[in-house]
Amino acid sequence: MRPSANQPPLFPAGNSLNLTQFNRILIQILLTPVLALAVLAAILVWQIRSSQNTAARVQATGDIIAACSNAEKLMVDQETGLRGFQITGDEKFLQPYRDANAPLEDALNNLQRALEAQHEAPDVVDAVRSAHTTWQTSYALPLIATTRAGGNTYDPALNMTGKLQMDAVRARLADLLDREANLRRGQLVHWRSQSRHIIEGLILLALLVGVAISVFTVSRLHTVSDVFEGTLEGLRRHAQATYESEERLRTTLTSIGDGVIVCDPDGNIELVNTVAQNLTGWTQADAFHRPLSDVFHIVNEDTRELVETPVDKVKRLKRVVGLANHTVLLRRDGSEIQIDDSGAPIYNRAGDLSGIVMVFRDITEQRRTQSVLLATEKLAVAGRLAATIAHEMHNPLDSVANLLYLIKNEQDPATSAHYLQMAEGELARMGQISRAMLGLYRESKMPVPIDVKEMLQSVLVLLEGQTRQAQVSVTTSLPEGLEVEGFPAELRQVFTNLFANALDAVDMGGHIHVTATASNPTSPTRNGVLIHIQDDGSGIAPDALAHIFEPFFTTKGERGTGLGLWVSRGIVDKHGGSITVRSESNPSDSEAHGTTIEVFLPRLSAAKTPSLT
Amino acid sequence: VLCVDDEAVGLRVRQLILERSGYRVLTAPDGPTGLALFDDHPVEAVILDYAMPGMHGGQVAARMRELKPHVPILLLSAYMSLPDEVTRLVNVYMTKGEGAPALLQKLEGFFQN
Repeated sequence: MRPSANQPPLFPAGNSLNLTQFNRILIQILLTPVLALAVLAAILVWQIRSSQNTAARVQATGDIIAACSNAEKLMVDQETGLRGFQITGDEKFLQPYRDANAPLEDALNNLQRALEAQHEAPDVVDAVRSAHTTWQTSYALPLIATTRAGGNTYDPALNMTGKLQMDAVRARLADLLDREANLRRGQLVHWRSQSRHIIEGLILLALLVGVAISVFTVSRLHTVSDVFEGTLEGLRRHAQATYESEERLRTTLTSIGDGVIVCDPDGNIELVNTVAQNLTGWTQADAFHRPLSDVFHIVNEDTRELVETPVDKVKRLKRVVGLANHTVLLRRDGSEIQIDDSGAPIYNRAGDLSGIVMVFRDITEQRRTQSVLLATEKLAVAGRLAATIAHEMHNPLDSVANLLYLIKNEQDPATSAHYLQMAEGELARMGQISRAMLGLYRESKMPVPIDVKEMLQSVLVLLEGQTRQAQVSVTTSLPEGLEVEGFPAELRQVFTNLFANALDAVDMGGHIHVTATASNPTSPTRNGVLIHIQDDGSGIAPDALAHIFEPFFTTKGERGTGLGLWVSRGIVDKHGGSITVRSESNPSDSEAHGTTIEVFLPRLSAAKTPSLT
Repeated sequence: VLCVDDEAVGLRVRQLILERSGYRVLTAPDGPTGLALFDDHPVEAVILDYAMPGMHGGQVAARMRELKPHVPILLLSAYMSLPDEVTRLVNVYMTKGEGAPALLQKLEGFFQN
């Protein structure tokens, strides 16, 4: 079933979010923290770099201090060695003095390079070197030479000079050490504060980024959540509407006056409405998911052969299968009811068969009423004919009685024979009338071949009296050999009816023309006989013409039952034929008025059973 | 006697019976012909059928009463009951099938009076 057009939309327009937008929000939520962390990491790297630089500078300053200390130590070694040699004159004591020369030069060079690397003025190293050189050349070397020569080296002035020179060297080195130590302290303070700043900054940044990400994510998620909420609400409303619509349909189905059974495409029962439960004798619970053939047994009302269910028929034909096929439903308790059924396929949106719905109704009452009406109409036909027939019978009867009287008193055998012949003729006429009358009632069980000419003539015989009374001239064009298959009594009833109607319609001295012609023997559907009953009577008013085949519609007031044409059409339809009426009721043009009834009867009847009368 | 009936055989047989009983019989197949004969000939009694095309027996009898009120009329009919105003017009009314003796007896009655 397609959803009804008035259902609310699934997603409210103001709150809608398509998949692209949703994906964009997801990407934003994922990428924002990554970007923020990348920025944070960049800042961290920059800070660490800067901190490393500071540490490197501290290290370099440390190296300078170390080089300085080394140089000082080497100088002390030289001084100590020199002092030992001066006191002992032993060359061994001079060894440390000599050994320190090269390392000292290296140490001073290193110091100079380190200072240059730190972009500090290297002239302080030159000053140390120069002061040391001064000490060496003006004090140490002469002292060594003097000691080797065995001279006196204990001159206080000389030694004081040496001491002062060495003090100057030491003072310069101490200055440098002091400067570098101060520098290192400053650098260390800077490094510590830098480290603290990095940590504080990082914590602050991390907090800020965290908060920003949270706020952003929350806001984005809120958007999604709002839309989701709206969608959910839409879904809820939709579900509610679907439920209500389904409930409405279900109530409609269950309270409908016809039996309804809904099956899945495999023919298993899904729903049996109340009427269907009553008709079949199966409850919804018992019938649920059972194959339809378990629950719904239908047989042909005459042959008792099992009939294909509408569901099977729909599955086979893939289209709606019509109502009114007059079958008998065998109920669960074994009782029978007459039903008409129909089936229709249910397609899903893809156009596949998703189920089959079957509707059926109990027509037992309807058939009973119909048969009562049919019987009524038959009685009415008989009633209308009774007076005419009594008259028709009476006349020959009177003649026969009179002839018998004559014969009784007649001596001449030739005359008697003549009277007998006349009496025979009259009796034959009576026989014809009585056969025609009986022909209206005796019915065969199966369709039989009917000679159209003979049938129409027997009808005309029955109505001959009425025709004569009404001074209506009847002409016929009834060729021999036209045959149809059907139920003669029913067809006689039809033509009696149609002819009586024509008689009622024409005025005194009017004319009725009855013809029968073969109709299209090559067409399978129109192969049969066309019978026209044409009168030049008053015609049928256009507003009445539309209703003449309805039951209880009559233009004859008390004289008509209003069932004649309705029954006639029923019978003709049953034979697979058709009945049509053309009428002109123009009173100003005497040539134009009159009614023509055309009855088509197929050569092979579609009818398999006589009407229930 | 004038016999009027649209049934040719019945009329012929009736004529034979009446003639056999000694009556002189005129026949007419319908009302207008019957009235013409009735007017033209010295008819002493009329046997009239009721159900005839055109004019029915009642109408013919009424016209005859206007022309020659004293002539007795016997109305025959296949119908069991006829309207009173029709039966009142005629002297005798009988249904067909009562037989020839009954008819002859009724007719004889006219001439005895």
